[in-house]
Amino acid sequence: MPHLIPLALLLGLLAGPAPAADLSPDAYGFPLSNPFEATIAGTPPDLRPELPGDDEISQGDYSLLLRPEREYKLPANFWAVKKLRYRLATQDGPAPLIFIIAGTGAHYASGNMELLKKVFYQGGFHVVQLSSPTSYDFMAAASRFATPGISAEDADDLYRVMQAVMANHPQLDVTGYHLTGYSLGGLHAAFVSHLDEQRRHFNFQRVLMINPPVNLYTSVTNLDRLVQTQVADIRDAASFYERMFEKLTHYFQHKGSLDMSAALLFDFQQSQQRLSDEEMAMLIGASFRFSAADIVFTSDLINRRGLITPPGYPIDEGTEITPFFRRALLCDFDCYMAEQLVPMWRKRFDGGSLPQLVNAVSLYALEDYLRNSDKVAVMHNADDIILGPGDLGFLRRTFGSRLTLYPRGGHCGNMNYRVNTQAMLDFMRP
Amino acid sequence: MLRQRFTLLTLLILAMPISQAQTLATDEDGFTRPLERLTFNPGLDQREFERSTLLALDVYDPLEPWNRRVYHFNQRFDEWVFLPVVNTYQAVTPRFVRSGVSNFFNNIGDVGNLFNSLLQLKGQRSMEITARVLFNSTFGVFGLWDVASRMGLPRHREDFGQTLGAYGVPSGPYLVLPFLGPSNLRDTAGLAADFWVEGEIDYLGVSEAASYGHPEIYGLRVVDLRYQTSFRYGQVNSPFEYEKVRYVYSKARELQISE
Repeated sequence: MPHLIPLALLLGLLAGPAPAADLSPDAYGFPLSNPFEATIAGTPPDLRPELPGDDEISQGDYSLLLRPEREYKLPANFWAVKKLRYRLATQDGPAPLIFIIAGTGAHYASGNMELLKKVFYQGGFHVVQLSSPTSYDFMAAASRFATPGISAEDADDLYRVMQAVMANHPQLDVTGYHLTGYSLGGLHAAFVSHLDEQRRHFNFQRVLMINPPVNLYTSVTNLDRLVQTQVADIRDAASFYERMFEKLTHYFQHKGSLDMSAALLFDFQQSQQRLSDEEMAMLIGASFRFSAADIVFTSDLINRRGLITPPGYPIDEGTEITPFFRRALLCDFDCYMAEQLVPMWRKRFDGGSLPQLVNAVSLYALEDYLRNSDKVAVMHNADDIILGPGDLGFLRRTFGSRLTLYPRGGHCGNMNYRVNTQAMLDFMRP
Repeated sequence: MLRQRFTLLTLLILAMPISQAQTLATDEDGFTRPLERLTFNPGLDQREFERSTLLALDVYDPLEPWNRRVYHFNQRFDEWVFLPVVNTYQAVTPRFVRSGVSNFFNNIGDVGNLFNSLLQLKGQRSMEITARVLFNSTFGVFGLWDVASRMGLPRHREDFGQTLGAYGVPSGPYLVLPFLGPSNLRDTAGLAADFWVEGEIDYLGVSEAASYGHPEIYGLRVVDLRYQTSFRYGQVNSPFEYEKVRYVYSKARELQISE
């Protein structure tokens, strides 16, 4: 009998305390319980918010010449990215302005950026859309070192861009500055906000981080690992893409028409051809590997490191650069860190070991700042694939009630869910 | 005593997998560990991504240097001429006019779709397209309204390149056409054939009007085509945009031909 008490205690411990669920999946109402499906497909069309169409928005693309020397240093086929482009949507009268920072490798006009623009434009903001510091155009046209990954330096680059953008539109009537970003852009938003406390140019009123990485190294390791899932039934001849392609062909043949709509992915996952978790993970991993290849190639070329492109190799608009693409594809995020980021960090910033780098570039570096800054909030998902164990604990400790944790959504899959877009607006205009 | 220990142990062992499953489901801080649902390659040394991608880069493109130059030319033309014209068009016309223009030209294009659908012996599809042309040309007033789509008859595209492909003609070398963009030898031939057929059939007299004194109809058609195409240069945002577009074009055509 006396044994029963420790036993009960033990069992109780093993079962763990009830998870601090902020929101039950039922109350939340987001239908996709599979994080990989949510990451790929996003929200089903009828649960998305109603947003203004493109012709209802007064907007334009502009460009800035920030690094004039690159005009001469970069090869001819980079002509389109020698100036940094951005998109600005303006309200008629005075209004607050919000900067939006894109996620890993993403362009200022990518899908998620357009979504956030529409949400905040509808909410009465001027909106500035900026490419990610990890993207090809930003690296070529705006980044000082063109070796993204040192968060504080990336934020510094972003800050200069933001100042240049405002200088480019002196007539714009701005009542206050706000800042947001999703995925890696969320992490950048925190570092930019921190920098702003010193430089005081914008005095951001509200900063929202959407699905940011907590430990950057955990996130890139997770992403690198996604292409290592066991994908069943790949015969020697057929590659993974061919297999995906076959499934798509069968699906369309069965359906009888080629209808590429937003509902396609949901319908596809209901069909016989549906993808397994492993296959979806592989697709997500592959798309990030393409981003990694772009970073590896661009960073190496601009800095003339000679790892991918031999320095001085003549490149004009007709040059076949596919061989360099092949070489860059073999390098994942981990390889990029080891071959380019860490050596650059050691050389330029007197850097030390890998754990030191990880601490400096992750949210840990800003822990004290974030704990005491009421204007910064974070939205995250309990099943986000870029997080590791303990990351949510860090966010809970640091942000307290300023963390909104959604039970579902994968990585950014619920960004276009009505509940989320409403919460974003509610936070930005209290 | 010993017996009690034993039961304790069995209980513990029994409890283990359950509690493990619970920690797998949700951490103390609410994290659900999505990656632990996946089966990974034990050595983490799978090279399927690399293999697939390297294979995918293998598109027959003997004219690559020329094609790349044309690609850059198209990008500049798009940026400096094409898109500004489309933007002006968008600014000076109300939306219902633009959709009327798109529907009108799409309706004319349906004649070519019908022709190719018949050539491929697609019975049901040919009937659907015939019904589309009939409804849109009558109830839709010369195709200005796409009433057929609302009646559940979606648009099908069939061009002569697809017809050739359906009969087993290989795609031939990849080509980037000036102004028009990605193509290949087969589809370029198909494009020329479609253009010729459309002139011969001359549905609603548009081709004749366009060649005798109203070339602006072609102009409007081209602007409308660009207006309907959502692709923007640079949005792939990669130094390897050329390779990616080439792959997607080749695969998309295969998909259209097989379907």
